[in-house]
Amino acid sequence: MITVKDLHKKFNDNHVLQGVNYHISPGEKIVVVGPSGSGKSTFLRCLNLLETPTSGEIWFDGKLITDKKTDINEVRRHMGMVFQHFNLFNNLTIMDNIILAPTKLKIQKPEEAKENALALLKRVNLVEKADAYPAQLSGGQKQRIAIVRSLAMNPKVMLFDEPTSALDPEMVGEVLEVMKELAESGMTMVCVTHEMGFAREVATKCLFMDGGNIMEENTPQEFFANPQCDRLQDFLSKVL
Amino acid sequence: MGDWLAKTSQRFVAAFVTEDRWLLYIKGFGITVEIAFFAAIIGIILGTIVALMKLQPSKNGKPTVLNTIADIYIDIIRGTPSVLQLLIMWFIILKSTNNGVLVATLSFGINSGAYVAEIIRAGILAVDKGQTEAGRSLGLSSAQTLRYIVLPQAFKNALPPLGNEFIVLLKETAIVGYVSLSDLTRVANQIASRTYDAFMPLIGAAVIYLIAVKLLTMLFAMLERRMRQGDNR
Repeated sequence: MITVKDLHKKFNDNHVLQGVNYHISPGEKIVVVGPSGSGKSTFLRCLNLLETPTSGEIWFDGKLITDKKTDINEVRRHMGMVFQHFNLFNNLTIMDNIILAPTKLKIQKPEEAKENALALLKRVNLVEKADAYPAQLSGGQKQRIAIVRSLAMNPKVMLFDEPTSALDPEMVGEVLEVMKELAESGMTMVCVTHEMGFAREVATKCLFMDGGNIMEENTPQEFFANPQCDRLQDFLSKVL
Repeated sequence: MGDWLAKTSQRFVAAFVTEDRWLLYIKGFGITVEIAFFAAIIGIILGTIVALMKLQPSKNGKPTVLNTIADIYIDIIRGTPSVLQLLIMWFIILKSTNNGVLVATLSFGINSGAYVAEIIRAGILAVDKGQTEAGRSLGLSSAQTLRYIVLPQAFKNALPPLGNEFIVLLKETAIVGYVSLSDLTRVANQIASRTYDAFMPLIGAAVIYLIAVKLLTMLFAMLERRMRQGDNR
């Protein structure tokens, strides 16, 4: 579904991604871990071109999206993204946050989009917040809404950029719960996170990134029980 | 005491009542408001466009054509007195028209646009980058993201300084007497020289400005309250 070939990203002199290669098949749940500054967030943000790669190729659904001729707005409709800081639209109610993209992009009629939004809100138990503004919600609620907002576009893949890192500890669970349900529903997911429990439980593959490269890739069982490279062993000894 | 009262009411009558002079103040104030109102509209539209021009990302560190045009416009407008801009508009650029209100409105609108541009630019820069990223990640174009997400929040951020700018604008129209328009200030001045009594007309005009500014302040306070609906502050 997503194929990354020799991906490089430089911020001025800072060579953040140094030739990443990877392939993600439909239905996979990829969890990316690594120390800060390892390039894992940049890697994720390159997948929907929020960061423009310096060089390399990214293929999504048979399309070369790093090609300048590709309509990136069209591609992004099929890739949901959830951010560390939620990024709900502060000027809109929860309902309008969810239906903005589907209606403005003329994918759904307003009534249809609202119906769909209500069904999604029911899934995360937040129907009563439909008319609230983001500032009136807790962090956990905001992140669940952010997930719903992405799902309203019926994406083929969901990208998560440290979705629980900005949450109070007591709210992490409710967000992970929604993500687990999403995983069980068969969604293709790529998730940068520090939640090792989630990785172990949900991931089909775990990636360890360091120094702008994927250092290790394995099933969660092997990844945690039998880390091969020194840096992963070192990393896991610190975080577990 | 009775003597003072009689004299004062006599001066009041001369300044406001004789020959229906109060009508002149109202007409004058009408011109003041007309110019200020339409100039404010031009200022907002022009200011928003120029702010967006200034915010266009530079290419390889070099300013774009639009960046440069916006910078030159702001430099010229902020670098010259508004009286001079008005006179230049009246005697040089729009020499062929006799419509003083039109000339003054355009002149003040163009003047205000430069200040509004910087206010709006600050408002846009204060909107978190994550808002744009979220919009773009959903497939919205940059124009749609700007229109539905960034600009509404930018205007909310910009409301206090915008109110300030429009108060200044309303009062600054007092210089349109230079192009022989009878606005509130000029009317008061003319009546002062007619009645040989400056006190009543000038203080009267000052009170009218004061009330108008107070109303404007209240209007902006109301707008701000309404736009803050969504915040928990």
